[in-house]
This record gives sequence, C-alpha cells and structure tokens, in this order.
Amino acid sequence: MSRQRTIYGITFWIAALILAATFFVGTSKIANPADFAETVYRFQLLPEVFVNLVAIYLPWVEVVSAVCLLFVPRFRTAALWILLLLLIGFTIGIGINIARGADFGCGCFGRNDDAPLSMFHVFRNSGLIALTLIALICKRKIGRLSK
Amino acid sequence: MKTTVKNIGIILLVSAVLAGVANCVHPRKIPWVQKRSDQVEIRAKEQNQKIIGFAQAQEKFRALNALFVDARTAEEFAKGHIPGSVSLPFAHFNGEEYFMTTFDLVDSGKELVIYCSSRECDDGRLLAAELEMLGCTNVILFIDGFDGWEKEGGEVEK
Repeated sequence: MSRQRTIYGITFWIAALILAATFFVGTSKIANPADFAETVYRFQLLPEVFVNLVAIYLPWVEVVSAVCLLFVPRFRTAALWILLLLLIGFTIGIGINIARGADFGCGCFGRNDDAPLSMFHVFRNSGLIALTLIALICKRKIGRLSK
Repeated sequence: MKTTVKNIGIILLVSAVLAGVANCVHPRKIPWVQKRSDQVEIRAKEQNQKIIGFAQAQEKFRALNALFVDARTAEEFAKGHIPGSVSLPFAHFNGEEYFMTTFDLVDSGKELVIYCSSRECDDGRLLAAELEMLGCTNVILFIDGFDGWEKEGGEVEK
C-alpha cells in the first residue's frame, strides 16, 4: 500500500513539475502583453473585442494555476483541471490554424517561440495533456489510498 | 467534485483580479479593447507613408499611370491579383529570385501602388517601407488590399 502510494506520489510530482515549468512561461506573456495579444489575434479565433482581454487574462490563469499546483495542496486538483482545459483549447486552436494553412509562429511560450505552427505543436500539447491526465489520476489514487 | 468546481472558480477569480491590477500598473500595458484592423494604417501613418483606399486605387488603375505591386505570397498571387500587377512577396523580398523584379521596380521611376491581402495584412506596408529605403520616391500603400479590391468589384486577373 505504502509502496503504491510512493509510486503515485513520485509520478504525480514529476508530472506536476513539468506542467508547472511549462506554464510558468506564462510570465513572459505577462511581461510582454502586446506581443501575446498579437499572437492571440493571429489565431483568428476570437472576435476583435476579446483579443486584448484574453491576452491580459490568460497568462495569469496559467501562472496562478502553476503556483497552486506546486504550492497550494487544496487547489491542486482544480489547477490540474484548468491546465487540462487550457491545453485542450490551445491544441484545438493550433489544429484549426494548421488546417487553415497558417504558418505564423505559435507564440505558445512567449515572444521567442516563433517556429511556424506545425504538427509538432499538436504532439507537444498532446503529451502535456497526457501528463495532466496522469497527474489527475495519481492525485485521485493517492487520495483513495490515504483514506 | 463540488469543491473542485468551487476551487476552479477561486483560481479564475484570483487570476482575473491579478490580471486587472497588473494591466493597470504595467509599464507596457495594453488597452482592454483594441481595434486591430486599423493597426496597419496607424503604423503607416506614423511612418508618413502615403495611403489610398479603393476609389483612389481604382482611379490610378484606370489611368494606367501607376504600377501595382502585390506583396502577398506567389500562391496567393496565382489565385488572383489586380490585372497588370507585379508579384513581389514580402516574405521573399531579399531572395535572389526577386532581385531583378525589385531592381526593375526601383528603376522604373513609376508610381508604385503596393497592396497586400487586406487591411490587417502588414506585408504591404513593410514592402513599401523597404522600397522607399531602396530609393523609390513614389510609393503608395493601397490599404484595402486585394480582398477590398475584389469586394468592391475591382477587376481580377488569374
């Protein structure tokens, strides 16, 4: 029982650390909101009126969720759900733009992430989605084993 | 499950407050709402570039006294363009294949009307700026671009 709990615990923390590191990159979007707003606009998925609002808000959701995932045990599950929904949303957005033939930079990790959109981005996000699901499962298993 | 939903709400709310406060005090803050379709025009005006809309572009087209330059990709150009226009994709501006085209344009001494796909496309403005830097003195940006031209019923060549 204890060994199982340790395995789930280690797996959870590996996944959580990778996810948190990935989403802490949101800080570069916070530092350069105009660049990120340009990225959001290029995706052509939102009405113009929402572009800046999303560009201002989304990086904070990423960073606050990453902080909660690492440092606030009570909010870990909620943070994982938010990250999962964000990743699914990003992946759909990238997929739609690849299908449209768009070749602009992803901007997923701020201004330096300017490699043109490709299936690599979809696979990378799919990996992160899998990691989030693993973290959620481990979290649930740990909770059950603790009871 | 109920607790998780409540916690999701708290995270989203805290993020909203932080985002709101941060954007008020940010040294590089952006407007909450911004009309982006005007951005190219604003930048062009800041750089004192000459800008024309469809009506003036149509006049110049009919008068045959200007050379139209298409800044879109070669593929887009092939699908349709303003009759008589020259393809000079901004993305390949420094490429060898367009060296002679660029040279001929600079050398033509004609008025050059640069256009891109739409009002939101920045390539036309950037190409106009490059041509001005190469010595073209009579460069005009047709701000509505090919989409605007087509929408207003301008002639299209394929």
